[in-house]
Amino acid sequence: MATGNKTRTVRLTLTYLILLFVATCIIYPLLWTIGASFNPGNSLVSTSIIPKNPTLDHYRELFAGKESLQYGHWYMNSLKISLFTMLGTVVSVSFTAYAFSRFRFKGRQQALTLFLLLQMIPQFSALIALFVLAQLLGMMNSHWLLILLYIGGQIPMNTYLMKGYMDSIPVDLDESAKLDGAGHTRIFIQIILPLCRPMLAVVAMNGFTGPLGDFVLASTILRTQEAYTLPIGLFNLVNEAMGASYTTFAAGAILISIPVAVLFVLLQKHFVSGLTAGGTKG
Amino acid sequence: MQHRKIGLVLSIIPGLGQLYHRQWMKGGLLLAVSIAFWIAFADLLNMGLWGIVTLGTEVPRDNSIFLLAQGIIAIIVLLFGIGLYVFNLRDAYRNGEKRDQGVRPDSLWSDYRNLMDQGYPYLVSGPSLFLLIFAVIFPILFSFALAFTNYDLYHSPPAKLADWVGFSTFAQIFTVDIWRSTFFDVLSWTIVWTLVASTLQVSLGIFLAVLVNQKEVQFKRVIRTIFVLPWAVPGFVTILVFAGLFNDSFGAINLDILSLFGLDPVLWLTDEKWTRVALVFMQGWLGFPYVFLVTTGVLQSIPNDLYEAATIDGASMFAKFRHITMPMVLIAMSPIIITQFTFNFNNFNIIYLFNGGGPSVPGSNAGGTDILVSWIYKLTMQSGQYALAAALTILLSIFVIAIALWQFRRTNAFKEGA
Amino acid sequence: MKKTITYMTVLSSLALTASLAACGPGEEAQGSKEQSSNKEAKLIVWEDIEKGEGIKDIVSKFERDNDVDVKVIEKPYAKQIEDLRLDGPAGTGPDLLTMPGDQIGTAVTEGIIKEMDVPKEVQSIYTDVALDSQKVNGKLYGVPKAVETTVLYYNKKLVSEDKLPKTLEEWYALSKKTTTGQSFGFLALFDQIYYAQSVLSGYGGYIFKQDDQGKYQTKEVGLANTGAIEGASYIQKFYKEKLFPAGIIGEQGINVLESLFTEGKAAAIISGPWNVEPFTKAGIDFGITKLPELENGKNMSSFIGVKSYNVSAYSKRSELASKLALYLTNAENSKKRFEITKEVPAVSALAEDSAVTKSPAAQAVAEQSKFSELTPNVPEMNEVWKPVDAALQTIATGKAEPEAAMKQAVKTIDGQIKAKHGTK
Repeated sequence: MATGNKTRTVRLTLTYLILLFVATCIIYPLLWTIGASFNPGNSLVSTSIIPKNPTLDHYRELFAGKESLQYGHWYMNSLKISLFTMLGTVVSVSFTAYAFSRFRFKGRQQALTLFLLLQMIPQFSALIALFVLAQLLGMMNSHWLLILLYIGGQIPMNTYLMKGYMDSIPVDLDESAKLDGAGHTRIFIQIILPLCRPMLAVVAMNGFTGPLGDFVLASTILRTQEAYTLPIGLFNLVNEAMGASYTTFAAGAILISIPVAVLFVLLQKHFVSGLTAGGTKG
Repeated sequence: MQHRKIGLVLSIIPGLGQLYHRQWMKGGLLLAVSIAFWIAFADLLNMGLWGIVTLGTEVPRDNSIFLLAQGIIAIIVLLFGIGLYVFNLRDAYRNGEKRDQGVRPDSLWSDYRNLMDQGYPYLVSGPSLFLLIFAVIFPILFSFALAFTNYDLYHSPPAKLADWVGFSTFAQIFTVDIWRSTFFDVLSWTIVWTLVASTLQVSLGIFLAVLVNQKEVQFKRVIRTIFVLPWAVPGFVTILVFAGLFNDSFGAINLDILSLFGLDPVLWLTDEKWTRVALVFMQGWLGFPYVFLVTTGVLQSIPNDLYEAATIDGASMFAKFRHITMPMVLIAMSPIIITQFTFNFNNFNIIYLFNGGGPSVPGSNAGGTDILVSWIYKLTMQSGQYALAAALTILLSIFVIAIALWQFRRTNAFKEGA
Repeated sequence: MKKTITYMTVLSSLALTASLAACGPGEEAQGSKEQSSNKEAKLIVWEDIEKGEGIKDIVSKFERDNDVDVKVIEKPYAKQIEDLRLDGPAGTGPDLLTMPGDQIGTAVTEGIIKEMDVPKEVQSIYTDVALDSQKVNGKLYGVPKAVETTVLYYNKKLVSEDKLPKTLEEWYALSKKTTTGQSFGFLALFDQIYYAQSVLSGYGGYIFKQDDQGKYQTKEVGLANTGAIEGASYIQKFYKEKLFPAGIIGEQGINVLESLFTEGKAAAIISGPWNVEPFTKAGIDFGITKLPELENGKNMSSFIGVKSYNVSAYSKRSELASKLALYLTNAENSKKRFEITKEVPAVSALAEDSAVTKSPAAQAVAEQSKFSELTPNVPEMNEVWKPVDAALQTIATGKAEPEAAMKQAVKTIDGQIKAKHGTK
């Protein structure tokens, strides 16, 4: 038993060492960003993780109301777009998934295959088309158009996930409700949806983070500074050949990352079960 | 003359057949809808269909690209129209048939009941489908159409018109040296990138999940929370942060970390090989938490009896891992693993935001780390090679779809799911 | 059943044919295109980034005189053409914009900027070189707003003014002496053709051969001739001997270079006049002069970049826009702009103006301009930048030998010109 104990200690030590290493790798860049945001100056050159003369200048600059840096505006735009995309995605996806999961109708098979294929082709590979569409509709710079496009883009994959989850809910439940005289919509809202909560959380999360991660589609449709979302605005901040400001970017990045990350961590257990189920069924 | 024939013929003008069957409401509705359709879309259909055939005849009045878009929308609308029309004809015929057999044609009420019951799935998925058509299908069709035109710098509105050129753009990809060599360079890196990055993030995720899941490990919650962070922070932020960290001369990685170990600075952003390495590491960093979380879920669902039985049989730690944990995890997670691969295949953000697809490499039209999607993006937005970009999009789509279908069939998830 | 289907097909196709009978744009369709939304009736101007201040007063005077609202939006000038492609047709575009001279050819090819009708006597106020950059096939497509060319900045604390090296070789010697790994002597972004051309051209390299009329022969690229290769080898020396840090190579290089100079870690750098402002603000005691001479006695050349005001082809009020362009660039207002933005104007009369002669930066630019060449403004120029930059980068990092790299680059350029511009 002594040797068993010894190998156990070695194994555990090794485990902790590895975990510690990974945790450092994760935390370091994040801490560095926080450090950078308090560093005076603009460039990377003199940036260090613990600033010598910390300053709040960069945070102030974000809200100083410069025309090329309308951080508050972008923040609200991003929030608005993400929230509505989330809402729209959840509603449209759950209804569609319900239809696909519970009904056998003409074109179902083809539609499912289509969904499967569509999620493989990145939506933004057709940028010009979306740009032209926006113009034809006279909706350049329109957040609503962007939201609709995002929702549309979210539908195939999330419908697939949701449908998979609904398939695992026994049909008996529907049947007995039907015997009680409930209509489709009532069965859906009162019985199916509550059971899908974990997957709804996943879909909502996808809907929320999708727009936050998109830079290409948004920059094609949104053409004025006021209309920008955070990804466009922050990207420009780092990438303008002249006047690039890494430190201001860091400040802006932190103000968006912290709330989102906190929300994620708090809600994580709600979507983990959904993810596990969804991921393993598909 | 039988009712069905009369109904059918009358329904050439939608609704008349139904009116003839004394289905007043339905007939009226159909008639009204078709008139409205006609009034609303006559212009669009006229312009669109003319436009998609000719792509315009006169500069500056006609804009080929707009005409193409209108044309595609017109075709979509027309398909809807034809659908409605065919429905109208069939309906008139079927109800005529019923009358011929002496059965009363459907009443509006029973039609409504029918719609609510059999039409229910169409009704609830209709709006989604509509969105999908305009947000996803229309753009893809447009892109595909574009590939068969010569839309580029020299054939672009407002100065010039574009024209249909058939497969010549595709031919160019394979015959013009610079396109061909770039295409194969980019394609091979795309494949390598997809395989390496996805494998790394998946195996890292699984490995860490197993580590953390050991019974004796303390502080599981804290560890898990930390491990979720890369997933919780918006990706574009982290990628841009990494771009700073990896800076050749002033990034913290060269200055602080490598120098700590007495290593020479590495040219992360200017040496193509190192940029690739950095990208793969970053994707590992960004991508493992998701796999980690899901694996943790799967691990917790593996019944303990299995392990206990194995322990009784005297199986070693490693044997248990190989014969119980690994198969369970892999089987349960194969769909997720596939998603990781397709995701990375199209992972534009990391490539573009990190180093703009760079560094530039000699003899290639794309940057050293450009994958297909980012190259397509550059061709479109920066060098005005629209048709070429569209043709590449088609090739890319075919490639991904072929692989995906093959994979899904193999794992059977496809048959099961559909 | 089969019969019925045939029936229906025939009927549907009948209906379809009926609907297609009259096709094509009628008068109506044309009318509807005109109704683009320009309700606010503001004149939109895209000004270069951080240069809006320079035209503020001029614009407000123009607004009063012409009873019009002008909105000035700042955007990096080299990217305005990309935005114009999208914003122009979208109706969110500018009436007047600014771009580098070498993009004019592309913009004209695409038809997104308008020809300008400028009387001969007005044209004559601009310097010839600057005006030439705005001409495509003899037609004028813009008015020059400023000229710039690279010059040498030196830190007076690190090199004394009277002992300023005169030749690149002397700078090299100085770098050899002073470089420590933390601080450097002379630095330049020689991994980019925009800067490297200063050396290559001095040795006999050129981008496109010009015929007698000055027309660019885009089939003859001279970046791999013996001169160019000699120049490239000379450049490589600086990198090989670690006189240039690796960090100034690549896309972020420019930021690093400027930071090194502002932090007093570089004795001298080659950069453009746009840095006078930031460097002054950073509080460095610097001097500015023309580029040094090469070994063969020739002065280092440079590209003259002409920034111009151009009228968007999508502008609904092109005449007014054009009027504003001329107003902004007339002698009086050019001087005003110069005083604020320090961008050297393209008006010949101002060369002797005391405001300009007193400014060392403007002097240096004027002096250097004598040894400079225009960036070719043909669309084919787009294919030159990247491949040569890539080649120079590999030369800088030592991954390739100059001859092989430059030959490869020219091959790529030729290939790209054939591939992208072959359909002309």
